[in-house]
Amino acid sequence: MTFYLVRRVAIGIFLLLLMSAIFFTLTRVTPGAPVSVGENPRIHEEQVNRRLHSMGLTDPNGKPYSLPESYVRYLGALVQGNLGDSYQYNEPVRTLLMQRLPNSILLLGAALLVALVIGIPLGIYASTHQYSKADMTTSIVSYVGVSIPSFVLGIYLLLIFAVFLKQTPLHWGFPLFGMHTGGVDDPLDLLIHMVLPVTALAILQIAIFSRFMRASMLEVLHQDYIRTARAKGLAVERVNYKHALRNAILPIITLVAIAIPQIVNGAIITEGIFSWPGTGQLAFQAVVDRDYPVILGVVMLVAAGTVFFNLIADVLYAVADPRIRY
Amino acid sequence: MAQVPPLPFGPAAGGLPGVPDQLSVETTVDQERAIAQPGVKSDELAGAPELGFWRLAVIRFFHHRVATGALLILAVIVLAAVVVPVITGGLYSIQDYRHPYKAPFQNWQHILGTDDLGRDELARLLRGARVSLMVGILAVVGYLLIGGGLGALAGYYGGWLDNALMRFTDIIISMPFLLVVIAVTAATGGVRLSTVIIVIAATGWFEIGRLMRAQFLVLREQEFVQAARALGASNTRIILRHILPNALAPIIVSATLGVSGIILLEAALGFLGYSIPPPEPSWGNMLSDFEQYLLSDHTYLVIFPATALVITALAINLVGDGIRDALDPRQR
Repeated sequence: MTFYLVRRVAIGIFLLLLMSAIFFTLTRVTPGAPVSVGENPRIHEEQVNRRLHSMGLTDPNGKPYSLPESYVRYLGALVQGNLGDSYQYNEPVRTLLMQRLPNSILLLGAALLVALVIGIPLGIYASTHQYSKADMTTSIVSYVGVSIPSFVLGIYLLLIFAVFLKQTPLHWGFPLFGMHTGGVDDPLDLLIHMVLPVTALAILQIAIFSRFMRASMLEVLHQDYIRTARAKGLAVERVNYKHALRNAILPIITLVAIAIPQIVNGAIITEGIFSWPGTGQLAFQAVVDRDYPVILGVVMLVAAGTVFFNLIADVLYAVADPRIRY
Repeated sequence: MAQVPPLPFGPAAGGLPGVPDQLSVETTVDQERAIAQPGVKSDELAGAPELGFWRLAVIRFFHHRVATGALLILAVIVLAAVVVPVITGGLYSIQDYRHPYKAPFQNWQHILGTDDLGRDELARLLRGARVSLMVGILAVVGYLLIGGGLGALAGYYGGWLDNALMRFTDIIISMPFLLVVIAVTAATGGVRLSTVIIVIAATGWFEIGRLMRAQFLVLREQEFVQAARALGASNTRIILRHILPNALAPIIVSATLGVSGIILLEAALGFLGYSIPPPEPSWGNMLSDFEQYLLSDHTYLVIFPATALVITALAINLVGDGIRDALDPRQR
């Protein structure tokens, strides 16, 4: 187990290095410098050089670093927790990420929780009532859920619950925008602001979880030991929820680990649409502004998170299922 | 009262894939065909001996009412996207400053109304459908060429190519796909449709690659491949003539579902301004101004492209699932 862990961590670090190299190269070979005389004819050559130097793009003599050189410099800074400065905000990327990260974790955590709490029971119910009306409905709804991208869903939700709802005699709708600046101080207000973005993010995962749970349950229900348990005369409920569920729910651990990067992916646009001040919105804005240090920072953060959660999932899986040995 | 799950008796649950359920002393032609084609059960072939695997699949597909309906809707969309812009020509870009924001369903000239510059919304939607479908189909062809080719080679030969493919897949899976595509698009300079297609194809082929690899890993050990090898068939011949036809079924399903995934991805890119640039309409970039319409009377400018996107993706997914059921009836 220890050897396995060490190996996995080593592979994880290697993956991160490789990913940073790929992305770093991509952002560097992108045509156009962040500051240039061509962009603003009135700026002085010397000022341009000073700006480029302060961004860490050139050495003190004004000569641009070569690609490997600048990558090594980037890695050196990365080890110290320095992700470079944003072109747009004139602030360290790390500061920006740290400001936004708690908001994102709040939103994504809530979405994941909602998806689990709704998706898993839905899948279990559908599997124990296979081909019933409820099962069919679940299938259809989860089908539609998978086919709607989160940004279209977000726009629909805003239209229906923030715009049209206000035009009804109710004269009330969910807020159009993300949290207020002091959002955390007022939990109720924060909750109301969270409803739409959490829904937009959770629906896809609910669809995935319920489908997966249904399939996993059905597979277990067809196994011999379930038949034996039924043949012994145990109650259906007892067999379903004690014998089958315990084994069927295990793969969900892996699924959650896979879901995290997916939710983050969806969050980039969803946070942008709902003006939720998280890392996703930061990335959304950085993409629009072509602010590469920020994009690179978000990518590295997400990649590190993914590698970490995959590792956790594998370890948890081994703990939960004694049949698995590493 | 919960339903009692069906007991795992009978041909549906038992038996190895591709092996006939009833073993008789004399093997019939049908049973031999069943061995060669793992997707079909022997008794089904025995019931309709004159029909081949693909003919049966087509018949099964059209027995699936939802899938047939979805195919019909999809056919209408594709036909409209291909034919109508040819007839209307440049209508989608003709601006009419005297009649911006014409409400939909009011007159025959502009059935779906006009946008902020007085351009016909229906013409723009159909032009956008063209973009979406083109990107979807061409990028999936890319998936099939890259993923199918590498997956087949990795599954058949194993070794370093197999290892490299699997590790590479691990990396790509752990990355936020949207940011990858954006970074690559930005790095390759300029946003052109060809770039978008190539980038999506180059970064999204892994699922099909893995699937193809898995198929080849299983099939290369089967008796009919050993028989072909014993008869002196070359590797190329075994791969192309013996394994590939048998590996196709799940690949076709995955490719179909891939088209809808790509269409949604292209829309997300267009929404962010990283796909075809504005004078050309795409469903994604038609949505990118949604904020300015939300609180106006022109919400239809948001609803139409969003709904077009959802209907198309849903239809493709339903057709894909129909194909899955048709090709592999055991998996229902």
